[in-house]
Amino acid sequence: MGFKDKLKEELFPTIWCPGCGIGLIMTQLSLVMDDLGLDEGNTVLVTGIGCTGRMGGYMHFDAVYTLHGRTLPVAEAIKTVRPELKVIVVSGDGDQASIGGNHLLHTIRRNPDITVLCNNNEIYGLTGGQAGPTTPQGTKTVSSPAGTTTTPVNLQGLVNTSPHAFYAKTTVYHQGALRKAIREAIAWPGFAFVDITSQCIENNGRRIGFPSANEMLMHYKREFRPAPPGSSALESHQLGIVRGTPEERAPAGVAAPSGGSPSRGEAGSGEGEE
Amino acid sequence: MTLAEKTIAYEREELLTGCQAVAQAVRLADVDVIAAYPIRPYTEVMDNLSRIIADGQLDAEYIVADSEHSQFEIVKHASSVGARAFAGSSGTGWMYGFEALVVTATDRLPVLFLVGNRALDDPGAFGVEHNDALAIRDMGWLLCWATTAQEALEHVLIGYRVAEDPRVRMPMALALDGAFLTHSQHMVRVPAAETVRRFLPPFDLGDRRLHPDNPISIAPQVNEDWVMELRRQNWEAARRARRVIEQAYREFNELFGERYGTPFFDEYMTDDAEVVLVGLGTVAMPARTAVRRLREHGHRVGYVNLRWFRPFPGPELRASLARFRAVGVIDRDFAHGSPDDGGVLLHEVRSCLYPLPERPQVLNFLTGLGGRDISIDDVTSMYEQTLAAGRGRALEPAVRWIGVREEAARGVPEERRP
Repeated sequence: MGFKDKLKEELFPTIWCPGCGIGLIMTQLSLVMDDLGLDEGNTVLVTGIGCTGRMGGYMHFDAVYTLHGRTLPVAEAIKTVRPELKVIVVSGDGDQASIGGNHLLHTIRRNPDITVLCNNNEIYGLTGGQAGPTTPQGTKTVSSPAGTTTTPVNLQGLVNTSPHAFYAKTTVYHQGALRKAIREAIAWPGFAFVDITSQCIENNGRRIGFPSANEMLMHYKREFRPAPPGSSALESHQLGIVRGTPEERAPAGVAAPSGGSPSRGEAGSGEGEE
Repeated sequence: MTLAEKTIAYEREELLTGCQAVAQAVRLADVDVIAAYPIRPYTEVMDNLSRIIADGQLDAEYIVADSEHSQFEIVKHASSVGARAFAGSSGTGWMYGFEALVVTATDRLPVLFLVGNRALDDPGAFGVEHNDALAIRDMGWLLCWATTAQEALEHVLIGYRVAEDPRVRMPMALALDGAFLTHSQHMVRVPAAETVRRFLPPFDLGDRRLHPDNPISIAPQVNEDWVMELRRQNWEAARRARRVIEQAYREFNELFGERYGTPFFDEYMTDDAEVVLVGLGTVAMPARTAVRRLREHGHRVGYVNLRWFRPFPGPELRASLARFRAVGVIDRDFAHGSPDDGGVLLHEVRSCLYPLPERPQVLNFLTGLGGRDISIDDVTSMYEQTLAAGRGRALEPAVRWIGVREEAARGVPEERRP
């Protein structure tokens, strides 16, 4: 078996635009799944509306293409009924942080053992390039020709409101860091969120001055750096993983043991490799 | 009015899509607050409005919300403080905000919404179906379909005029067939702003405007003490709306030329017709072409394009359709499990005809679902079947599917399943 066995190559070329970053995520996810022995018998994909959501159709897995914004309750439901399955959510920043933002808030709080891979291209790509929840302030988009006026959602800050959560930041250029982040996220016993900066050349990049997808990747190469080891939080343009304290889990149906909340910070360590 | 005065009614003519025409109308209506959230096919409206505002052609607050539910709540309460407000959506996005839509009507806030008609997922589909907009039909909304970009533009103006009238104060949904109208280009005459101002006065919510100088409560808890009386007020408003709509078209025609013969629906080649088809939206295009071709062969057929669905023009449509031997109702929607398993429009039309002592035969055609083309041949077939029914032949079944692949509809055969 190889990672290509995870992919429905007969459906290629994909519907994604030339130069899209989503395929780079799908490739790394396939490689990690191959390494970890994840297959259609033990893993379910849950995807959200948006370009990223199409990934479920291109992989040899049971996949649910959910309503817009609803990946997390669907994933949590599957994990609750079939706790032995790995449940991996793949969706975009618009789906996770905007229309699905309330679910993100409360799924982080409940800390189910699911993994979220968030294709963060900082735009609503599928609908043509409107400003979304992660669009940097001042960006010119088709819904903000004079530049956005709002500050983007701080995904790291949101995820790290839970002392138990796992947050990783990477880009699709940094394939080694991306693979490591996906692998650790899947292995993490609790809610794990991988925030993957990715290029949308057609409906964002070109409008903000990038001549090609490759130039966007080179931009990520120049701008992003691994966080120093031991970092408890990542600064802007730092690659790495911030780990909470794994939650002690009671058997299903039994109340969790009482006790003080573990603190965040000492368990975290920055990561980054290319 | 002299011809010279009428010539300034429209300031220019340009090629616009349905969405672009709506955006131009929102500019002309001098809307104060716009809330947006992208979903095809409505999205082009919000994209165009953002450019119009950035270009300084409209001074409005423009908010990209986090979802349709928030989007609709924003414009609803912008309206409650006296802002003319606009929003739009499509398909499942419209349905996601339905809680907000329902209470916009009960709060009597005259917001105008564009509905770019889209099938309700699952499975994922972007094509036109009318069930999204039709879902609002019992909730105290005004609901109207446009068939051209020109009508789309003009019905934003007519819509605000009717919705904001103190005798009405109901929210207004203007429906455009997804893709076939939202994204098709038409030559559109753009009204002059000065003439629009004469037609559409500034928004005035009167003593219902929420303001520190006018302390009122919006949507307080009233339970059984008041709800029935409030429902009655909505009912009265919907009844009054019919006369307000007629008055709005009269004044629109005076200012912009004789654009509209009748407000609620228009008729095509019906004068001596034996049978007609009735439909909503862009199916009027192939229908009118089919009418012309059939008339070349001596068939006396006509088309009735229903524009206003709420309020439904009961007496007017009844009087019109009573003239024909048979009526074929085209539904680009479905009402599963309803009487005869017909479409939504079938039931409205058939109920409207019931008081007649002698009723025309009524057939129903379910077609064009999920954005499937309705061809001229399809409509010609509907006319042939309606003509036969008018002569007392082939009356059953009352409901017929046009353009469906019957074999595929039976599902994947056992032997071909994985």
